[in-house]
Parts: sequence; C-alpha cells; structure tokens
Amino acid sequence: MSVKYIPVQWNRNKWLYDAVMLAGVIVFLWLFLFISPELLSHEFPLNPQIHNARAFGACAFVMLTVILCIGPLARIDRRFLPLLYNRRHFGVMTLFVAITHASYIMNWYFAFSSSDRYEALLFANTSYGQLAGFPFEFFGIFSLLCLAILATTSHDFWMKFLTPPVWKHIHSLIYFAYVSVVAHVTLGVLQDQQNHTFTVIFTGGALAVAGLHAYAAIYERRHGDRLGVDVDGWIDVCSVAEMRDGFAKIKILANGERVAVFRQAGTLSAISNACAHQNGPLGEGRVLDCLVTCPWHGFQYDVTNGRSPAPFTEMVPTYNIRLSGAVVQVHRDANPPGTFVEPVKIEAAA
Amino acid sequence: MSDKNTPFFVGYLAVPGGLRRFLMVASVLVIAIFAVSGALIGSTQDAPPASGFRFDYGRQTVTGVIELTPYPLLRVTEGNDLIKPGKTLMLTSAGKSGVDMRAMGLDGKLATVSGVILQRGTIDMMQLRGGGRGLKAAEGIAPVMETEQLGRWKVAGEICDGKCLNGAMRPGRGLAHKACANLCLLGDIPPVFVSTQPIDGSDFMVITGPDGTRLPTMSYDYVGQFITLEGDLERRGDILVLRMDDTTLELTDQ
Ligand code: HEM
Ligand code: FES
Repeated sequence: MSVKYIPVQWNRNKWLYDAVMLAGVIVFLWLFLFISPELLSHEFPLNPQIHNARAFGACAFVMLTVILCIGPLARIDRRFLPLLYNRRHFGVMTLFVAITHASYIMNWYFAFSSSDRYEALLFANTSYGQLAGFPFEFFGIFSLLCLAILATTSHDFWMKFLTPPVWKHIHSLIYFAYVSVVAHVTLGVLQDQQNHTFTVIFTGGALAVAGLHAYAAIYERRHGDRLGVDVDGWIDVCSVAEMRDGFAKIKILANGERVAVFRQAGTLSAISNACAHQNGPLGEGRVLDCLVTCPWHGFQYDVTNGRSPAPFTEMVPTYNIRLSGAVVQVHRDANPPGTFVEPVKIEAAA
Repeated sequence: MSDKNTPFFVGYLAVPGGLRRFLMVASVLVIAIFAVSGALIGSTQDAPPASGFRFDYGRQTVTGVIELTPYPLLRVTEGNDLIKPGKTLMLTSAGKSGVDMRAMGLDGKLATVSGVILQRGTIDMMQLRGGGRGLKAAEGIAPVMETEQLGRWKVAGEICDGKCLNGAMRPGRGLAHKACANLCLLGDIPPVFVSTQPIDGSDFMVITGPDGTRLPTMSYDYVGQFITLEGDLERRGDILVLRMDDTTLELTDQ
C-alpha cells in the first residue's frame, strides 16, 4: 500500500528471505563448481564451460522447482505463507542464473564458427520432426523468454498498469516455463547420461511440483471452498455455526471468482477474495476492527466496503450477503469495488 | 489451512514468535535441498572419454600427400618423432572450420602442414596454423598413395564431428552436443563415424557421402544418435574411410 512507487520496498523480512534463498543458490553453485570436480577427479575433465553451463542450468531448475512448490504448500498449510511473501525476488534471481547457463552454452557450443551464434542456435539442428535428437535448446529459449517476461513485469507498477487479473494471467506463464524446462532436459541431457543421479533428482523435483499442486487442489475441494448451489443468484456458503469470529470462509462462484465471507463482532460481510495488490487470498487474512489484512503483503481493507483505509485508495468488490435460516448466502453478482454493504447481524440464536 | 491458531504473518511486521521456529526449520531445509542437489548432481557427471587437445606435444610440422575424400586428409610421407610416415591425419582449422578451401587445389599433391594435435585413443587430427604457415605446397613429386578397398560393410554407431570427438570439446559427443556437432560439420570439419565394434582394427572412420561426396544433408538429422548404415569401406594408410549409402541409414534403439 504505497502512495508512490519505490523500485523495491525493503524490510527486514525481505532481507532475510533473499538472504536464505541466495545462500541456497551460492551453496549449490559452490559445491557444483568447486568441490565436485575434485570428487570426480576425471583424468580428462569436462571443459570448464560445459561444467559451468551444467551447474547453472541445474541450479535454475532447482530454483524453479522450489518456487513452484511454495504455492501449493502455502495452500495446504498457511505457516508456509511467509515463503510466498517474496517469491518475486527469487524469480528474478532465477532469471539471472538461467541467463548465465544460456550464455555459457552460447559462448561455447554455438561459438567459434563463422556463423552468428544466435542464428546458429536456430539453424544448427533442425530435426524438428523427430523426438530423439529434437533441438531441445528450443524449449530452453522458450523458458528463458517466459522468465524474462515475468521478471520484467514483476514490479507493482506493472500490476497496477496491467490490472491484477491480466498480470495474474501473465504470471501463469511460469507453469509453461517449467513444463518447457522439463522438456528441455528430458530431450537433452537426460538422453545422454550414464549416471542417473541427475535423472532421479530431476524426476523427483518435477513430480514434487505436480504432486503438490494436485494435492493442494484436492485439499481445497475437501475443505469448504467448493462451488455453491445457485437459487435466484443466491449461493450457500456454510452454516453460521461454522464461522469463527475474525475469520473468513471462501467460496468459489460459477465464474471462477472467489468470495471471502467474514464474521466479525457478530456481523457478516463479504468481499472479493482477491487482493488488489497481487491477488493475495484475503479470506486467509484476519479481521480486526472491520479491517482485514492480506496475508501476502499486508494490504488492508474494510470488509464492509472493500476500501483500504485512508490515505490509501485500493478497492476490491463487495458482495451482497444474507442469512437464510442458519445458512449464510452471498449473491453471485459482485458490487463495484468500494460499494458499502450493510453487514448482516447474526441473531443470538444462530 | 492448518489450524485457526496459526500465527498470522504480515510481511512488514516482525515475525510472530510461534512462526519463527517453523521458518527457521524451513529455511535450513531449503538451503539443505540446494546443497544436497548441487553436490549430488555435480559429483555424478559422467567422465568424458580419454581425449584432449595435445598442446603439450608442441607444434608439429610434417609433409605428405593431400587427399580430398572430399574431406582433406594428409598421407604423411616425411614425418617427425611423433608422426611417422604412413600415418594419415585428418585436418582442421581453428574454431569450427575445416580446411576445404585451403586444400582445394592440392588434391594428390605434396604439402607441408604445421599445427597442434588433437587426440583420442588411436584417432587423431591436426589443427593447422592460420594461413600459409599452416598449409603450403611442398617441392617434389608426390608419390602415388595406395587405397585398399575393403568392400561393403554394415556398421552400427554414431556420426560425430571429428574435432570435438578428438577432444576439442569434452564430452564432445551425444545428443546434448548435437547442435554443436552439426555446426562443426556445416563448417567443413571432417565427420567421423564412431563404431560400436572395431572394424578392421579400428572403431572410428572418416565418413563421406556416396561415392566420396560430402555428407548428405539428411544425415545431419542423425548426428549424435545411434544408427546403422551400409557403405563401402576403404583403407588409406592407418585411417578408414566409409562411403555411406544414404538409403540404408536407419535409427536404432540402443
Ligand atoms: C537460450 C536458452 C537455453 C539454451 C540454448 C540451453 C541449452 C542447453 C544445452 C545445450 C544443454 C546441454 C548441456 C550439456 O550437458 O552439454 C542444456 C542443459 C540444461 N539446461 Fe539449458 N538452455 C537454455 C535455457 C535453459 C533454462 C531457462 C533452463 C532452466 C530454467 C535450463 C536448464 C537446463 C538444465 C537443468 C540442463 C541440464 C544440466 C545438466 O546437465 O546438469 N536451460 N541447456
Ligand atoms: S497480494 Fe500483496 S498485499 Fe495482498
């Protein structure tokens, strides 16, 4: 919640976060680059350029894997939410590691010929019609482009400029980037290796990402969050008894949007679950004095009108809400962002 | 969503006490994942085959007869301590370029070459110095060199570029290296067939197109892959040359 843009807003937690991630990357590269050649003690060592390219490529893969595991972990157990907090910085770091990988390849495999190395990248291998021997570099280029787009649009400025839904769509490119890296490695170096340690780590990482996402989806379906029945536009959320003061229930609407219904001080209010900042899950935030705090970066909203407290101006849509007996219902049509909705009083009997 | 009493984290505030231990453990775990995977992947890279740029032999200068197969070979007639007469050298320039242009007018003629040796097992190649110092016509009459026909063979193995195979790049073969190898071949570096079984005592041979033409473009799709093909084999000094019949090239499962 800033009134003006600052390139990067730092605080202690971000420093700590980046320090931990950077430490991981440095330890990985140090062990791979400086310790492992001694352990290998090959009589004719790999060319340093190839060894370096592999170190940075493998590191970028592990970084992407870790990034993509954090999301579902935080959905399954919210104690992981702080790991989600500064993922953008980690993503930018990944881009730089991946660029280093690609540069070693470009300056070695695609250099020393009379052709331009970037043209050579595209024409040296044109076996597009076959699986074995397919120019797997193509998938590497695609992932690198995705990472570059994500890193350059990662700042809040772009989110505001593109609007959060568009931004969020662009950021799902990360999944295409990951699948593409999997293809890159599967069609490339995995086909050549005699020693299968990398294959095992690689497959394990990819399965962890896929498995955690599937598990988180099932978990959410089982824990409330499912689509409601629509009668005249009113959708059942849950019974009042299931709601705890200061917390929300999240409901998915038919159009895919999520509503967060809050109970606080004996009243019910409903706003969009998507934070105006980065679509953080408002329903997982906590309410104090009508204000809900987003668990991702701490933006705050009044749950009765979806507005951030002055001097901030962010707004999210609100939803009409009513009680049908003991059942809480929301209306499927969102009100324009910032619309006040009278909170519904819960009778003592409920 | 764990339990409702999970401490609530807000990025710009101090981490709540109850979460601190959890986050410490998570951080250590993340770093450990990086450490273990870095060490494991790094220390289990395959050993490249014994090969190398032998700068340590120093610059070599020898004389012999140039033969275009169409890839230029030198049949050594006047050797030195390291390279004896009777030896056949494949030739290359620096980087990913061959010596086709420089050898063009010299087919069947005597020439003196100078450069460094690349070597892998029994196969070797000379990387010539630049310009006339690397390759120049020599005085004298070129002796007639023998080419022994060994008939038609079916072979199994992999097409590589002769330079990287010889140690310019390590590992220098295989699929991960395919685009790089193709770039070498497009640059006129002599292609080599690495056979899974020794043929007439040798497990590699210079490979050419049918009737000694250049490698057909279709074969670029199979570089670095396990294939079988038939062709006419001949021996030139201590080197084999295989003239492939490109209609017989087949991809094989290893
Ligand atoms: C222009 C883009 C890229 C090109 C040209 C490229 C090219 C290559 C090549 C030629 C190899 C095989 C290296 C060898 O073993 O000899 C390789 C391996 C690899 N690449 Fe890329 N790559 C690119 C981008 C990426 C990106 C963006 C990632 C991941 C985020 C990535 C991850 C990997 C991994 C994990 C390996 C296997 C490393 C190993 O052997 O341990 N690459 N890449
Ligand atoms: S998404 Fe950043 S504060 Fe809500």
